[in-house]
This record gives sequence, C-alpha cells and structure tokens, in this order.
Amino acid sequence: MLKLTIDNQPVAVPAGTKVIAAAEKLGIMIPRFCYHPALGSVGACRVCAVSVLKGPRTGIQMSCMLDVEDGMVVATGDPAAVAFRRQVIEWLMANHPHDCPVCDEGGHCLLQDLTVSGGHGRRRFPGKKRTHRDQQLGPLIQHEMNRCIQCYRCVRFYREFAGYPDLGVTGIAARVYFGRFREGTLESPFAGNLIDICPTGVFTDKPSRYKGRRWDFQRSPSICIHCSLGCHTTVSARYREIVRIEARFSPTVNGHFICDRGRYGFAYANAPERPRQGRIDGETQPVSTALDAALERLTTVSRTHGPDAVACIGSARSSLETLGALKRLCERRSWRGPFLWPDAQTARAVQTAAACLAPELRLSMKELEDADFILVVGADPVNEAPMLALALRQAQRQGATIAVCDPRPVALPFAFEHLALAPPFLADAIRIFARAAAGPPQAGVRASGGDAHPPDPNMPPAVQARLAAMGATARTCRRPVIVCGTQIVNSRTVARAADTARMLKSADKPAGLFFVLPGANAFAAALLSDENGAFNTLQAGIADGHVKAVLAVESDLPAAGEGLAPALKSLDLLVVCDYLNTAAARAADILVPTRSVFEEGGIFINQTGCAQRAAPVHVGGTPVAQTGGGDHPPRTFERSIPGAEALSAVQALDRLAGTETADPPAALADLHPVLAPFASRKWPDEGQLLDLSSEAAPSADWPPEEPPAAGKTFELVVRERTFGSEALSQRADCLRPLEKAPRILVHSDDAARLGIAAGDRVALTCAGGVIEGTADVRNTVAAGVVIVDRHRELNWPAAGAGWVRIEAKQIHKIEKERER
Amino acid sequence: MYPQVLFQNRQPDRTATIKTYRAGGGYRALADVLQQNAAARVRQVLLDAALLGRGGAAFPAGVKLSTVAEDAPYPRYVVCNADEMEPGTFKDRVLIFADPHQLIEGLILAGFAVHAETGIIFIRPEYEGAAAILEREVRVAEKAGYLGKDILGSGFDYRIVVHRSGGRYICGEVTAQINALQGKRPNPLQPPPYPTEKGLWQKPTVLQNVETLCCMPHIVAKGADWFKNLSLTPSGAGTKIFGISGRVQQPGCYELPMGVPLSEIIEDHAGGMIPGSEFKACLPGGASTGFLPARHYHIPMDFEALKKAGNRLGTGAIMVFDHKTCLVGVTLNLMEFFARESCGWCTPCREGLPFIRELLYEIESGRGKPEYVPMLQEMSRHLWHAYCAFAPGAAAPLASLLDEFEDEIQDHIKRKACPFSALT
Repeated sequence: MLKLTIDNQPVAVPAGTKVIAAAEKLGIMIPRFCYHPALGSVGACRVCAVSVLKGPRTGIQMSCMLDVEDGMVVATGDPAAVAFRRQVIEWLMANHPHDCPVCDEGGHCLLQDLTVSGGHGRRRFPGKKRTHRDQQLGPLIQHEMNRCIQCYRCVRFYREFAGYPDLGVTGIAARVYFGRFREGTLESPFAGNLIDICPTGVFTDKPSRYKGRRWDFQRSPSICIHCSLGCHTTVSARYREIVRIEARFSPTVNGHFICDRGRYGFAYANAPERPRQGRIDGETQPVSTALDAALERLTTVSRTHGPDAVACIGSARSSLETLGALKRLCERRSWRGPFLWPDAQTARAVQTAAACLAPELRLSMKELEDADFILVVGADPVNEAPMLALALRQAQRQGATIAVCDPRPVALPFAFEHLALAPPFLADAIRIFARAAAGPPQAGVRASGGDAHPPDPNMPPAVQARLAAMGATARTCRRPVIVCGTQIVNSRTVARAADTARMLKSADKPAGLFFVLPGANAFAAALLSDENGAFNTLQAGIADGHVKAVLAVESDLPAAGEGLAPALKSLDLLVVCDYLNTAAARAADILVPTRSVFEEGGIFINQTGCAQRAAPVHVGGTPVAQTGGGDHPPRTFERSIPGAEALSAVQALDRLAGTETADPPAALADLHPVLAPFASRKWPDEGQLLDLSSEAAPSADWPPEEPPAAGKTFELVVRERTFGSEALSQRADCLRPLEKAPRILVHSDDAARLGIAAGDRVALTCAGGVIEGTADVRNTVAAGVVIVDRHRELNWPAAGAGWVRIEAKQIHKIEKERER
Repeated sequence: MYPQVLFQNRQPDRTATIKTYRAGGGYRALADVLQQNAAARVRQVLLDAALLGRGGAAFPAGVKLSTVAEDAPYPRYVVCNADEMEPGTFKDRVLIFADPHQLIEGLILAGFAVHAETGIIFIRPEYEGAAAILEREVRVAEKAGYLGKDILGSGFDYRIVVHRSGGRYICGEVTAQINALQGKRPNPLQPPPYPTEKGLWQKPTVLQNVETLCCMPHIVAKGADWFKNLSLTPSGAGTKIFGISGRVQQPGCYELPMGVPLSEIIEDHAGGMIPGSEFKACLPGGASTGFLPARHYHIPMDFEALKKAGNRLGTGAIMVFDHKTCLVGVTLNLMEFFARESCGWCTPCREGLPFIRELLYEIESGRGKPEYVPMLQEMSRHLWHAYCAFAPGAAAPLASLLDEFEDEIQDHIKRKACPFSALT
C-alpha cells in the first residue's frame, strides 16, 4: 500500500492506483469526462487536472493518468489546476449547443454539472459553433453529434469493451465524428450503454424522449428479469408509466452495463392491453369478484372430482414470493403442482444445475472475467444471456482462450473456437475434454463421472482431437471455467459439466462453474419444484380427463405459438392470474390481474444462487397517458387510481389458499432449507448468496445416450434470440425492428440431402403440432441438427422441449402454391 | 566553404547512384561492422558522437538505440521518419533525392545496432517521387547484397519496406506514427511503455529522422571525434542541414556546421535579405518554434544556444520575416495549420487551437478587443497541459508573439486594422 496526501487528507491505496481513483476513496470527486472505471484512463479530456505539490513530477498533472507514489502530495483545489480545468470547460463549451432546456440529458448531464459547478457562464469565443449531421442509429438511440465533447467513451466502450465494429471515429481535429460509417441501426445488443456512458447528450434514450426529465421520475433500484443473470438496474417511472431503465452498478453481477433486452424490454408493464380488471366468462368484473368466483369454482371442481383434478401452473418469470405462495397453495389444497417447467428435460437439467452448483465451484460474472480458459457447452450467450457475452469478452481481452461446443451458429464479439456438435455429443465432448484436462491418472484425483463409456464412434475424430487439445490447454491454465446452458441439453450434460469443474478444481486451481438457466427465477423454480413439475406431464393428465381445472399464474406455458395449447381446450375451468395479456389470459374463464415487478417488487434468485430484491417503482394503475384522454397535463378527478385494483400474485394466491401471509419473504424460509436466511430479515444490498452446501450434488452413472441414426434422424433444437424470444421483452415495440427474421436452420450437407435450399418454406411435423417456417442453410450449424427460432411467428412450442429427436421423414419442403 | 558530409554527393538534377555513393566510401562502414559483428560498437560510437535527433526533438540517437534491452523480444523494428510535415522544412526530401543510399545504409546500420529485422521508411504521400526512388534503390541495395538474408556473409538478415503515410502532420509524432503503421488512428500514446520497449505490434521499435540516419554511416566510418569537431561550437556536434525560406535572396537547403551564426546563414549562404527588407524575426526550426527577434541575429545555430535563448533549433528550417511582414498574420497562418492538423484526441489541442485561431483572426481583421490579449496569454500557457507535444509546439510561436511582439498585437487592436496591410 502506498500512502499519499490528497487535499490534506491521508489515504493508502495499492500500487498502480491512479490519483483520480485514490481521491474517490476519500470522497473527493475529481471532475472527469473521458475517465470511466470500466474503460480506464486515456487522458483525452484533460478536465481531471490537479496540482501535484510533492512527487516525481510537480505542477499540473492529469489525475487519471498519474500513478500514485509514496509520499505524494496532491491538491485538487490549487488555483492553477482550477484555472486550467475552467479553461477546459470553456474550450469544450465553445462548440457545445446551449440547448440544455430541450436536451434529454439535461438534469443528469456530466457536462452540465461541471459547467455549472465550475462557474463558466459567459461566452468569450467570438467564432461560430461547429455543427454536424446526425445519424439515424435505430429505434433505441438518438444521435445528436453537436453536443459531443469528444471524450471517446462511446467508441472505447463499443469497440474495445464490447467488441462491435460498427461505431467508430472519423475525421480529425475539431471535425472528429463519432458514428457509423453509414447511417443505420447499431448492431450491438449492448448499444444502449452508450446512453449511460456518454457524459453529455450525444446518445440519448430514444423511446423515452418527451416523456419527462430526470427530476420528474420516480426512480427505484431494480433487478432485470429478462434472463437468469439478474443484472442490476435503475427504473424510472412517471405518471404510472415505466419510462426508462438504466444500468445500476453491481461489483459482482453486471458491472456498469446492461444489455438492450434488459434496458428496453419493459413495455409490457405499460401496455394498453395489459389486464387491469377482473373478468368472469367474458364479463368484466371487479378483481375481488373474479377472485371470489375463482375460489368458488376451483373449490367446486376440487370437491366434485377430488383435489387431483385441479392443477397449478407457474413460471420462472414470477418472483420468489409468488412461487412460494403457489407452492403453499398446492400443499394446502392438495392440488397438483406447481408445474413450473415446459418439459421434463428442462426441469431435470435446471434442477441438476441448481443441485450441482456447490459454493466452492460457483463464480460471479465478475470472477468469470478473471478466467483464462472458458469452455462453453450448450449455451448461446448473446442470445440466452447477453451480458454473459460481455463478461466472456472481458476474459478474452485479458488473454483467455474461449471455446464453445453448441449445435447453434453461435456468434460472439471476439475470436473463439466453435465446435458445432449435436446435443447428444455434448456430454461426451465434456468427457473427452475432461480426460485430457485431468492428464495422466493420479492417485486421489477423482475421475469425472461416466468414464466407463467409450467415446462416441459417431463423433468425428478431428473433433475429438480438438477437444483433447482444449483439455490439454485447460490443464495448463490458472483458472479454467465451464459455462453450461440448460435449454438444449439434458441433465447428463449438466452433471458432466459440474463433475469436470470439480475435477479441475481438485487439481489445485480456482476453477469454476457457471450455468445459464431459462428464466429470471429459474433457480428458485428449481428449488420449489420436482421433475414432475413439467407442463407436458400435466398435458397427459388433462388428455386422460383426470385434470379438470387449471390455475395458471404468470405463466406462458399453456400457449402454443400465438394460440392456446390444444390440451387446455378440453378443460372445465381455466383460471389465469397474470399481468400480461397472454393467450391463456384471453382464453381464461376467470381472469385475475396481478401486479408486475415494477409495482410489487420481488425477490429473484439468479443463476449463481444469489437472491436479489427488486424494489417497487410506483404504486400501480393504468398509465395516465391512457386514462387522461390525451390532455396535457392529463387530469382525471377520482378518489382511486384507475386500473390499480390488481392485487399482487401473492395476495391473490393467499386468498385462494384461505390464508394470509404477513411477511412473504420470511414465509419462504419454511419452503426449502437454502431459503432459511430469509427468516432473519437481513438483506445485504448486493443480494444474498444462498448457501447451497446442504445440497448433495448428484453424480450418477448416467446411461449412455442413444446414438442418433445418421441421416435418418435429426436433433431438433430451439434457439432463443436476443430479441423476440423472451416472454416479456418480445412485447416491446421498440425492439421489434431489431428482431431477426425467424428461420429454420440446417447444415448445408443436410440441406442438400433433404433437398432444401435457403428461402424454401419447410414444415416440421412434431408431436405437438406442425412448425412451419422459412429455411436457412448454414455451415455453422451442427450436422444432423435442425434449429427452430423461438419466435411468435413460428409454432416452436410444438417441439415439446428445447431439444427433441425427430425423423427425417418429419421434415417436409412445402411446394409453393403458385408452382402447382 | 565548410566540409560537405551529407551533401557530398549532391548534384543538381541528379540522384546519386550506388556507384557514386560507394566511390565516396559508402557502405564501407556497414561492411566493416558486419564483418566484426560489432553492433555494440555502432551504439557506442553514436553515443560518443553526441548525435542529437534531427527531427526536431533533439533526443540523443545513441541513447535511443541503447534503450533497446539486450534481451528484448524479437522481431524488432527500425522506422525511418520521412513524414516531413513541419512547415518550412524540406531537408529530408533533398537528402533522399540527393543520395538515397546514404539513408539506406544509415537505416541498415541502425537496424544492425539493435538486431532488428525490418526497417520501415514512413514517407508522406506528397513525396511520391522520393518514395519511388527509395523503392528502386532498396532493390538496388538488395541486389548488391546489402539487404536480404545473410548480408555480406554476416548472418544478419534485414529488409526495408517503404510505407506511404496517410499524410497528416501528427503522423510525424513517434507513437502516432506507430499507430498509423498498424492501421490505427494516428493518436499519440503517452509513454510508458516507450516504443523502444513496446512499439510496433508491441515489439521494440526505434524511430529516427531521415537526417539522423544519414549521419550514421559517416560517424561509424570516421569516428565520434571527427563528427564532434565538425561543429563550430563545443556544445554542438556534426553538420546540420538548414532549410531557409522567406524574405532572403536565395532560399534553399544548406549543409553547414552546427553552431554557425544565424547572420552568416542569411548573409553568406542565403544571399542576404531581399532588397528593401530588414530582418525582423525568424522561426529558427519550423512552425513549432518561437519567433527569434532581431537581437538574436548573431546567435550560433545549435541546440544548446537556442535553448538558452528560450527557443529551439527544431528541424533547422529557418523562416525569415522582414519588417513588412505582419507577425499576427504569420501566427494566424500557423494556427490555421495546427488547428487543422490536430489529431483531435485531447481538448487543449482540438478545441484550444481553433479558439486561439479565432481570436487571432478577429485581431488580424481589425475586430480585436483588448481582453483578447490576456486570453491568448493564458491559453498559450494552458496548451502545455495537452496530451502530447503537438499543442506545446503550437504554443511556441504564439507565446513568442505575445512576449516579443505584443506591441504589434496592440497596434492591430488600437487601429482596428492590420497595420501592415498598407505596406505590402
């Protein structure tokens, strides 16, 4: 530790710390524009000048470029430094437009803050202001180059940090320009961060334009629920409408940034079609009346046909409190469920992952950035959990080797090795890797599970050699990490990934394991359900007439494409509690509206087993813009808030259970041993890392996979996309233009064999129905695999699971009507 | 007549061939050190000769070569900076046109001294003729066995690549040039790491000016003492190519001993001031040096003496202004150049220079206000806190204008017009 003095206050910091960061430790915020903790120091803006009174070089120095030295004495308020900083502001303001009153950054603008606090107010520059032509950068980001102060933060984030090439610097001198080579939508799914990091109003949030100013908003810390990573966000609301989401710093999860799905996926909460009132048999009714009717009819079914005739469905997008209430309801009424998973395979994969995530193996996203070797199995980071791709990128920038085994055409913003392997090979791929990583057999080192089975003869020898080479590399690495998905793999692959991480760990390394789960609260759902809790198990029960009534709580499971799952149509009673206008909600006999995370808050357990709480942002109710008849400012004179009748799902479920939960988080402690900390009511800001050590990690001798019959069968894999797949964000209009057209993808060799060309219409006849779509042919798809995009335009739920086996004869090319 | 070293083969209308160069002793130094495998000796003799970099910064060339550590990684690079863009400077072009093999031998010697395997000549695109000559003569040197694999049986491999610049002033800055060579924006990089440690593609890179490299074969052949004795002053060493322009009768490039008095350069070599002109001031070493007023008319032109006078020898490009030249106008012209050529990285350079240009423009146009003078004074001081040496360089003529010729500025403001407009 080096000791120095800043503004007469002593501080001790590690060697290599910059003076600007050391000052921050003392609470001294030295002005800055180009410096950003995540992007580092570049010395471009010169506004962080301080006077060094004692040190290797005295006089005015840039505190972001200056390493601390023992005995250094720094004065941030020295007149010479203040005069220079004031000069820098004057220079920057010479060309900056005076449009603060109409600028969307106004009120939370770093340039505005420093200009005002520095006292610059009189214009001495006799020349004209520089002007630029702005670019159309897509639906999310508004470009206004005239406001630019050339801090280079945008391109440093976009190109260096995130690794996308389509935003850059052009021109020199005073004509430096930050934009795209040609006008067009920004390609990076992290582009929204430009808004947060731009110290002025060059990049502003487009969907929230004209909705208000920073000081108008109700702002609350929240948790993103658009994937399993649980990034920290700050949500702004005004007039009962969610207006904007920004990244909130988290040292362990997302750092300073979030993805665009998380930033813009909130529109569902404001949607005009969102259920606000109860409905019974098509008639609008007060919420409490609907709830009473639901209780009465469910009780009737339960009495008439036995409690087994009622089933409860939930999903991983609900808060932990809601899932807990649903579980308690099932237990109290002896109803079936909760059914929280689309299929048994996914249920088992996620449950295995949750059980395997031993505390010594799990690592945070921040720790993942420190890995020097990462094997990604059955996960497509940019599509399934975008911020994971950004973390992998940071590891790669620091020299990590990254390899991906996945049948889908995985794209990442950096160089990596992709082995396109069909799902049945993934578990074996890990085993070949693990064997090479273990090296020659050693006494006392636990061999990875399932070694008895020989390598799959169907796996090409070249691929096996690559896997062995990767294993050999991992063996020499300091911190190898396995990242494993759960959407398209079975539990055997998940357990194998965990075994391998444990094996690498026992070889005296801080090796780690990182899972990607389907849904914000998938981890919690895994704790509160068993492997029978899958929707397709329930479908059998409905089909054979045992199940007469279904209660669906915040769940998309009963949907099939844009319609209702066929099985549900034969039910006597469908009760839906939801804040979304889903297909099930539209078909429900009784609809009970619930409150979203923005009104109710809630606890979500991310994929590392960290329970994090989202705070409520506003009290709820229909957005004023939808009730005010277009007036400005919209005024309605009522005693109650329109559309605010909805109860929280917990309250609704308690009414159905006939109980009342005084403290929902504390009540969770009884549901599962790892939820015990909730009883103590202690709640750290950064979340509660659950103690999973009580969980026994299963590592059974898994049966070998049935080998695919080459050419006769295909593995059908459902691919999630960054935009357009996830249940909540796909309802955001501003993200629609970013959705890629959904496709059915096959490898070029398979396409030739099947007689399919890119652009052909193809039909896949599956157990749950026909999936019809446009074909695309790629060499980056694994051979023997058909990939279906999870998109509302495709009937993907007909597949029945994230990965199923189909026969070649189930794939048809649809001849064009005109040609017939 | 002083001894001609770098210009010994300079002839009107003709580029010296390898034959001419060899006849004058060329490539002998190279053959010598290669045979004796005496890389350390090359570094030592250049250190002893006190050869200061001729590109403007006057960093000791021998020290720069010696900073490449013995155990530094390979490959290593030597870059010849032929991006001659300092206004008023045209010596490198003359050197290349006069005697290209002198530069080639210098570049090979520098490469040999640091065990480099590639020499790169970074040349501005306006010098296409010089670039073509260099490309041709590099092939000639290859055929003659001075370049390629196992040069003269010594086991030393070396090649030379001619690289045409995108053509911006900032590309002459060492770290910006290295960025440009890698296909990046030519933004300077503040050391550490120094290029001699991590330069091109993170490998040790030595960057030298054309004239500096041209001195090397002569120093290696004739020794450090001979080189030092070429200078008229004990503080200097060697000869210097002075490029003189402006209000003199015979502008041009002259090779003169270091330390030659300014008055002698103007009167004896450049043919004196043009009739009717009186010497008012000159820029002694390009646009990024200060105005040297008439009281320094007899100053010995070497690095040390000019430093003492609060100025710099820079590139040795002397621009002479007479009593009818408006120095506010000259400075405005220079600021136009600097404001245009800034790389745009840091605020003082990108925003400060156009601000200053605008103030000077107002003054020159007769719209100046008295408060502009203290503003200019403060800004010229603040330019020193820029990211690289570009803005401090640009501040030099401005600061000297304010120090030495403030009356001229006040005159503009008082008369609400340029007092020189009637004179020309």
